[in-house]
Amino acid sequence: MSAAPTSRQRILASIRKATVHLHPAGSAQESPVLPRDYVRRGTMSREACLALMIERLREYDAEVVECSPDEIPAAIAAQLAKSGRKRFVAPEGLAAAWLADGVEWKIDRGLTTEEIEETEGVVTAAFCGVADSGTITLHHSAAEGRRIISLLPDWHLCVLRASQVVETLPEYFDRCTGPPALVTFISGPSATADIEMTRIKGVHGPRFLHVLLVRDAS
Amino acid sequence: MSHAQLDPVYAPPFPEGALPVLRNPQLRKNVAHAIDVIQAKRGRLVAEKTDWQALRTSGSAIRAHALENLDYYLEQFEERCTAAGGHVHWATDAAEAREIILKLLREDNASEVIKIKTMTSAEIQLNPYLETAGVRVFETDLAEIILQLGQEEPSHIVVPALHINRSQVREIFARTMGLKSLSDDPHALTAAARTYLRQKFLAIPTAISGANFLIAETGGVAVVESEGNGRMCLTLPRTMITVAGIEKVLPRYQDLEVMLQVLARSATGERMNPYTSLWTGVVPGDGPQNFHVVLLDNGRSRMLRRPVERQTLKCIRCAACMNACPVYRQTGGHAYGSVYPGPIGAILTPQLMELKHAQTLPYASSLCGACYEVCPVKINIPEVLIELRAQVTDKERKQTLRFFDPLYLGLRMANLLFARAWRFHLAQQLGRIGLSLFTRKDGWIHSLPFLGAKWTQTRDLRGLPQQTFHEWWAARERGTK
Repeated sequence: MSAAPTSRQRILASIRKATVHLHPAGSAQESPVLPRDYVRRGTMSREACLALMIERLREYDAEVVECSPDEIPAAIAAQLAKSGRKRFVAPEGLAAAWLADGVEWKIDRGLTTEEIEETEGVVTAAFCGVADSGTITLHHSAAEGRRIISLLPDWHLCVLRASQVVETLPEYFDRCTGPPALVTFISGPSATADIEMTRIKGVHGPRFLHVLLVRDAS
Repeated sequence: MSHAQLDPVYAPPFPEGALPVLRNPQLRKNVAHAIDVIQAKRGRLVAEKTDWQALRTSGSAIRAHALENLDYYLEQFEERCTAAGGHVHWATDAAEAREIILKLLREDNASEVIKIKTMTSAEIQLNPYLETAGVRVFETDLAEIILQLGQEEPSHIVVPALHINRSQVREIFARTMGLKSLSDDPHALTAAARTYLRQKFLAIPTAISGANFLIAETGGVAVVESEGNGRMCLTLPRTMITVAGIEKVLPRYQDLEVMLQVLARSATGERMNPYTSLWTGVVPGDGPQNFHVVLLDNGRSRMLRRPVERQTLKCIRCAACMNACPVYRQTGGHAYGSVYPGPIGAILTPQLMELKHAQTLPYASSLCGACYEVCPVKINIPEVLIELRAQVTDKERKQTLRFFDPLYLGLRMANLLFARAWRFHLAQQLGRIGLSLFTRKDGWIHSLPFLGAKWTQTRDLRGLPQQTFHEWWAARERGTK
């Protein structure tokens, strides 16, 4: 009749036995009132906030270029030309006008790893920028692309709109309408300090991070 | 042999384990250099955060709440991870976790596996087990590659190879990768590792990771890293196996707004680490389509009962405590005889294991409190150390052998003397007479015989004054009458 308890049952029983005295009423409380007195909202002006975002990105050795919304295609084309690279990959949802002439594009409609590995660079959109830490978040929507395409190519150009930039990390979380299934937080290019704490840029992820900051009305 | 040095069951006691490092100036220099660099960066970045203490308070409260309701949040995590296409497994101990992982690898026909740095897998000694079972394991974090190729042991939980300097890394890479002309420039060494691993990432379809956080609300898993090796392992393979301690759960996605602000600053002295990845079960077309989480207890659930011990599990593995610890700075990590060194290791290891395997660790501290001060989730490590010391003493006291131990003999004697005022006063008078034989003219005792010599070997002792406060007071009262 009584089968041996599974490991799941044993672990949960052990946890309950140890914590039962903490909630005598029975079930756990899901929305407790916890202290949250840290800074939620930034206090900077828009200009100062954007200036901070740029400063932080540059501290990480990311390159930042600014442009107006009309200039996006030209600014992308200029960045691609300057990179000296020829083969690029783009997410399926990237605006067609952003796919500059003069270079080879692979549009990711389920490209294989080998096909992506052959490209030299990638252009993606972004979900949000956090000025306080110079962080870009990708939620991997159609214009931000699958995770693999912003990982394998050695050069990443990320198009970030000024209206997407917030000052503090909590403000990013406020912008999430619901918890996303996939997120990548990117703070500068891939790096390591494992050998004598010397910071080396570029290990496995893209060694070059470029950000195109679009001055849209925010 | 491979992990015996850091297996608490076989490791020597702390004072013995510390000797090799204390006698090795190069090793001490490597450790001190790395720690000084991290500490200086951390100090600057914590100071610029005006709400640092508020973040610590919230971080502590979120972690404490998750632990107090751990069964609820684990079940929620399991339900939502499963709904998102993941498979959740439960392991009561290290052996069960290893068996589950090997079984999953067999089902996947995996003879090779790539790994993201995970302390939990080191805790369960996964690599030697898998190698014995015929599965080749490739670590992908730069420090872990250095350790794996050099057959070294980790000495820190965030920068595990900090005890190895560039020329030693050069030697290891030149020998194992067959690169005779490799220079000792960290750029060249890093590039060598990149080339070495690129083919592994592209070719090996099975990966193992740890988890920095499990999100109950979504069933998601978060991994915090720098190099991109994590992203490679999380994105390219078809099968991903994540092994995580049951304490790693956070109630909500939004709780990361606190954790991510304190973790990188505390761990590496950065405003944010280069990459943090979060994924939820299986996402069609993006990343591994076969995803498993192994939830590991291994002694954790029994630590939940009392608040003093429970707080140990709030740890988010940032290593700020070891970087701040004056003892760790001198001894390095291997002395702790566990994959978890430093102050957090000194309280975690004795609780995860039977106390007898790690009972010198609670004493590997000066109780200065630096670890508590830097802890981003406010674990009162000195409080736990003292509690564990009490447990060690309680256990020892029961051993008959200890009856004649000079320390216990002395303490029993003190207990007797301090219990009554008259006994205490008598002891003071006798002590004054006895010690006056050894007190020099300068009022100091420079050497004592027998057991007392152990004290005066390294320090002087002030002689007892001719009059105690009580005697002085009594004489004063008599004089004024």
